[in-house]
Amino acid sequence: MIGEVSIGGVFFPPLLLLGLFALALTGVLSRLFQIVGIYRFVAYRPLVDLALFVLLLGLAVLLTAHLGPQS
Amino acid sequence: MNPVLSAVLRWIVTALIVTAAILVAIALWRRYETDPWTRDGHVRADVVRVASDVGGLVTSVAVHDNQMVHKGDLLFVVDMPRYADALGQADANIASARAKYEQAQKVARRDIALGDLVATETHEENVASVQTAKAALDAAISAKQTAELNVHRTAVRASVNGIVTNLDLHPGDFVGAGTQAMALVDLDSIRIEGYFEETKLRHIHVGDEARIRLMGDERDMEGHVDSISAGIADDQSNNSANQLRAVDPTFSWVRLAQRIPVRIHVDRMAAGTQLIAGRTATVTILPEQSPKK
Repeated sequence: MIGEVSIGGVFFPPLLLLGLFALALTGVLSRLFQIVGIYRFVAYRPLVDLALFVLLLGLAVLLTAHLGPQS
Repeated sequence: MNPVLSAVLRWIVTALIVTAAILVAIALWRRYETDPWTRDGHVRADVVRVASDVGGLVTSVAVHDNQMVHKGDLLFVVDMPRYADALGQADANIASARAKYEQAQKVARRDIALGDLVATETHEENVASVQTAKAALDAAISAKQTAELNVHRTAVRASVNGIVTNLDLHPGDFVGAGTQAMALVDLDSIRIEGYFEETKLRHIHVGDEARIRLMGDERDMEGHVDSISAGIADDQSNNSANQLRAVDPTFSWVRLAQRIPVRIHVDRMAAGTQLIAGRTATVTILPEQSPKK
């Protein structure tokens, strides 16, 4: 999109939507990691969860960058 | 595995992940907070406040709402008959002044022919009355020129190429001299103004390339920074009645960056782009692509 996402005429900054998306993805991945047992390899789980969210958000912004000047 | 070694390894893995996240967070911060782009841009244009130089009833309106006009096109006519009458009156005044002038000349010539039979005072008075009549004639000629100008000015013409918009003028309306009768949007002056936070201004230079997108339009426009505003109003103080400054006493935990208007000239745009004054635009400055200083 063009720097904002239109939902019914109201324009949202894409970062808000990407943030919500990344948050949901973090929840899913966190659950998955718990089942697989990856958390055995880290020292402090909440910190890693937070880092996971930031990384996913960065990835989402990178992937949507080509769609607009500032998506 | 050695429990100490495994604890150290776990911390190393955690630290690596967190470091990566911090780097990404810094990149995101740069992208959204310091890159010179704004969603607070608008299409702007000069609006000519078309007014009539002479007052009176509107005789006819030659344009309709949202009509494109060229420089010199007729917009509307104000009370032509009245000013035409005034012109006729000016002609009559000239004839009257000329008759008086000729009469004064005749009297003067006759008295000169009589020589010493006429008193010196009368000769002097004759010269004065000839000069007065000549001045009155000149004044009448000037008044006619003004009347001609008024007749010419009853036809109000477009001073720029533009579009008449929000037209609310009808035959029979009364317009006073100097009051605005209609708005004319100057199409040659149309440009984008981006309101950039002052924290981003150091990345913006005159001549930098800019990419513009209008809200609701998928296509990019290209332009360049034409100029940066020299001043905005200071909202922390104003002048009081006795010429002293009234400064607001504030202690701000949170300070908002002021928005500075940056004028963008549109160089290229897709055909059919509706550049309507007031539309919202997203403006991104591309500083790295123009090294010129």
